[in-house]
Amino acid sequence: MVDNIIEMNNIVKVFPPSLVALDNVTVDFRKGEIHAIVGENGAGKSTLMKVLYGMEERSAGEIIHRGKPIHFKQPGDAIANGIGMVHQEILLIPEYTVWENVVLGVEPKNFFGRLDAAKAQQQVAQKIDEFQFNLNPIAKVEDISVAARQKVEILKLLFRNVSVLILDEPTAVLTPQEIPQLFSELSRSKENGHTILFISHHLDEVIELSDRTTVLRKGQKIATVDTASTSKRELAQMMVGREVIFTSLAEKGHPGEVVLSVENLNHEHHNGHHFLKDIHFQVRAGEIVGVAGVEGNGQFELVNSIMGLLEHTRGKISVQGKDITNLPILDRRKLISFVSQDRSKMGASVTASIRENSIMTHHRLNTRLTRWRGRLMLKEATQKFTQEIEQQFAVSMGSMDNPFRSLSGGNQQKVILGRELLLNSPFVLLDQPTRGLDVGSIEYVHQQILKMRDEQRAILLISADLEELFRLSDRILVLHRGSIVANLPTDQTNLEEVGILMLEGKEKADE
Amino acid sequence: MKILIGLINGMLTGATPILLAALGGTLTYYAGIFNIAMEGMMLGGAFFGVLGSYYFQSWEMGILAAIIGSLIMAIIFIFFSVVLKTDEFVTGIGLNLFALGATTYMLRQIFQVKGAFSGPGIVSIPAINIPFLKDIPILGEILSGQNLIVYIALLATIAIVYLVFKTPFGLRLRAAGYNAACLDTSGVRTSRIRIWSLLLCGVLCGLAGAYLSLGYVTLFSENMSAGRGWISLAAIILVNGSPWGIAIISLLFGFSDGFGLLLQQYIPSQFASMAPYVATLVALYVYSVREKKKKA
Amino acid sequence: MNKKIISGISGIFVAMLLGALIMALQGYQPFETYAALFSYSLGDFFSLATTLQNSVPLILTGLSASIAFASGPVNLGQPGQFLMGALFATIGGLYVDLPPILMVPFLILLAMLGGALWSGIAALLRQWFGMSEFITTLMLNMIADFFTYWAITYPFYDQAAFSPMTPLINKSGWLPEFGEFNSSVIVMLLAFAGVWFVFTRLTAGYEWRITGQNSLFARLGGCDINKNYMTVMLLTGALAGLAGGLVIMAGPHRFLKGIGANYAWDGVMIAMVANNGLIATVLYGLFFATLQTGALGMELITAVPSEFIQVLQAAIVLIIVAGREYLDIFMDRTAARRKAKERSA
Repeated sequence: MVDNIIEMNNIVKVFPPSLVALDNVTVDFRKGEIHAIVGENGAGKSTLMKVLYGMEERSAGEIIHRGKPIHFKQPGDAIANGIGMVHQEILLIPEYTVWENVVLGVEPKNFFGRLDAAKAQQQVAQKIDEFQFNLNPIAKVEDISVAARQKVEILKLLFRNVSVLILDEPTAVLTPQEIPQLFSELSRSKENGHTILFISHHLDEVIELSDRTTVLRKGQKIATVDTASTSKRELAQMMVGREVIFTSLAEKGHPGEVVLSVENLNHEHHNGHHFLKDIHFQVRAGEIVGVAGVEGNGQFELVNSIMGLLEHTRGKISVQGKDITNLPILDRRKLISFVSQDRSKMGASVTASIRENSIMTHHRLNTRLTRWRGRLMLKEATQKFTQEIEQQFAVSMGSMDNPFRSLSGGNQQKVILGRELLLNSPFVLLDQPTRGLDVGSIEYVHQQILKMRDEQRAILLISADLEELFRLSDRILVLHRGSIVANLPTDQTNLEEVGILMLEGKEKADE
Repeated sequence: MKILIGLINGMLTGATPILLAALGGTLTYYAGIFNIAMEGMMLGGAFFGVLGSYYFQSWEMGILAAIIGSLIMAIIFIFFSVVLKTDEFVTGIGLNLFALGATTYMLRQIFQVKGAFSGPGIVSIPAINIPFLKDIPILGEILSGQNLIVYIALLATIAIVYLVFKTPFGLRLRAAGYNAACLDTSGVRTSRIRIWSLLLCGVLCGLAGAYLSLGYVTLFSENMSAGRGWISLAAIILVNGSPWGIAIISLLFGFSDGFGLLLQQYIPSQFASMAPYVATLVALYVYSVREKKKKA
Repeated sequence: MNKKIISGISGIFVAMLLGALIMALQGYQPFETYAALFSYSLGDFFSLATTLQNSVPLILTGLSASIAFASGPVNLGQPGQFLMGALFATIGGLYVDLPPILMVPFLILLAMLGGALWSGIAALLRQWFGMSEFITTLMLNMIADFFTYWAITYPFYDQAAFSPMTPLINKSGWLPEFGEFNSSVIVMLLAFAGVWFVFTRLTAGYEWRITGQNSLFARLGGCDINKNYMTVMLLTGALAGLAGGLVIMAGPHRFLKGIGANYAWDGVMIAMVANNGLIATVLYGLFFATLQTGALGMELITAVPSEFIQVLQAAIVLIIVAGREYLDIFMDRTAARRKAKERSA
């Protein structure tokens, strides 16, 4: 007899005004199982769990928990019923300590309403021991590692005695080496009687860890299968809806002259902390150099120093022999195309129209768009320019005067890519160019990147997706604590080795 | 010596309304609200304080009425910014304008005067003489004999420090400002915490207003808050919300107020009146330069 | 476009309904009051001309705030910039005498200079020391208030007057009138046309707008953020200063105490309710001028105190802005609900 702890029936979720995120999804979860929910970006996995958890209000359908229909209006309700969720972006308060974060909302009090700090610390320490988490209760969250922060999030839920744990892309923030530990913790939790639901798009992990798997595609449930009886290929096919070829490395390029040269780049905080230490590398024309590294190890500073946002750096950056180290941003843009990692923060103005977004930088560099020595803008010329982008990059949009945010993520990225590529610069800087995109858009962007390389542009590609780096790059640099600890041709290394370098900074001696 | 004592007393007097309003504002600051409506809340408090004191012939009713008046403003702010989710900056400015218009209008309608209302009928808040302290030579003249509200302001500072740093409410309050999503997901409604912080701010601004119209002087004049709400906002920003820091900054401004009065003997009065605002600029300068150094 | 008009008109309607309720509760006649209000401001040629003249400072300070907010700088210093512009124009008008065809532009330029100087101080404090212009412009407002008070009480005092004010400026600086119609309106319209052209057609205007929406994006795109910041602060200061100068030149022809009082926060208020749109600023400026001009007539006929207008204005602003944002949310939610029904059927 199967014991369903949660049943979600005919769930519909529409985001205002008309985005159907969940389209009549019915799925059930059994007590004590590890159940994976897979799908590509935008399939609705997170939304489904957020609806269950009470973070999002469902538009239609019912949810049954332990045989009773429930309607969680806010996460507090779910927690009270024993359901807890750990989000993809770690939601903790960095300025607070571990124990403060864990007891927030269920603080022990003594008389006068005073927060009983000692008791809280003691209770948290107890829970840490119970689950063997190896955390320091009085450490500040901003000082501990990302993997540790994830443990704090899980601890927070266990502290409130939840029996159902929902994890959203738990391995996204971990290096290859930290993943096995998470898996053993989850297995242990399952043995303790907890039910675990986890969202992932990494099929290797899904196969290894889960008992059953549910596949979502474009807001609809495709199937729920016993993991043991399926395969990566089958799951991928259900996720995407067609035959998926597991990609091999692309054909290598033919590097030519040095285009980007970074020499002895250093950036330090006045307290001595090195953000960038003796960075020294080159990128040639017709070459893709990938940069791997755990987030926060210098990628941000590297990008900003190349673009001109960083002050107080020592060293030299040059493009095609021209020293750009101290040049204002506009002068750099004459030589650099830039696709930033956060579209809405750095790559566009989401409230401005599509046309206005597409002409940025061109409004200064493209004389066809202006008159009176660049002072007057010619509306018709800008309209034609936007149409060029629309056609060349197959952007699907309505009117070009609609706000930029009316475009889907994939189309937004196409506009940005188009805008940057049409600058015809010798050097292209790409920072997480496929983050958050669906498989179709990712393939398109990869094609464009390879095309750029074949046009003999120099490309620096920063990505958290090791598979993407290996697929596209000719060489891979690994950043660790602000230094480049490896500079390897792609065909002479592998994922595991790079993973270790990302974590440890140097090759481990034979284990 | 007399001048020094006068200066210090003047400093406490000038600091009190700013301190109270800033304490209220700091609660909303910690909660992550962009609250620039202290000016309007204070003004509402000042008017209702005079109203209550005059009609009930008691200063206690005056204080109560002042708090209610300020709370009315706070509730309007809550309605627009929390319930209707209107932009907080716009709501704050709108509320300040509304308070200015409404108090000016009511001044005209209820008291039948333009400009200002003063008179023997308004009962002012008394000064308190503390039995032992007042006999201490020199210090006694400062420690004892201050207006009741001055002592309340001091107690309020201590109470706010306790509330914000030692209670669960305070932990949640600061969490709301640091990461509202995290607080929500911990099971506490951020909107509820924010509403409480605004209500408490209303109470404190009401006390500040009561002091303006019933303690400092005994009258209500149009736009009597005269930018003090903005100065208290500056104070909050300068010390990143810290209540003790606010106390010190308020004393600084109070001092510049009193100093300005002193200067009036030597320079035209208008320049003396500029003193608190120039002081704010100087304080902001020091703060900004320090921040810049940190970033380098 | 439609949404803006709906939220504007319905917001005004709701606020006036509320106002009518308050009036009725106090024993006044709402309908007659509103009738008196509008007839006094729009009823005949004279009223219309007065309303137009009164709209000049409102529209100009409104444009100052709108452009600043839409481009990034939080310039809340219109009151102070207004006063400094008025003072500069007055001083010029007292000590310089040129033929009117030169005098008028000269004083106008002085007024703009005064305003730009005052906003420029705040801009420099920001660029050199990182001091937030939000606070500095506010403090400078108060300082300008006291400074101009001193100026008209001591150095530029009119000995013959009983309260602080300057003597009349030279006749050549008085803005000509064409019948009832004051030429300050023409200056205002010219200023608006110029500003509109810069903001919507020039590359600079494009950069300002994008910077106001996302300054990091603009910066990475190659825009010179610092230069643009300074230009916008100076321009918006000049607009507010121009307002001050025109009020002096068209109205009392001398600097009196309290000349800026009525326009204290109106510019910011209009920018907010117009959501920083330039044309909307002009329209709302005209509307509020109508209310303010009619207020005196209202008091004469139905005895409702003219201060009531201040309350009405604030209520209109709050209701329109809240309504506009809520309307967006409401319409989106309704559309979403409809879609959900389709899918679950």
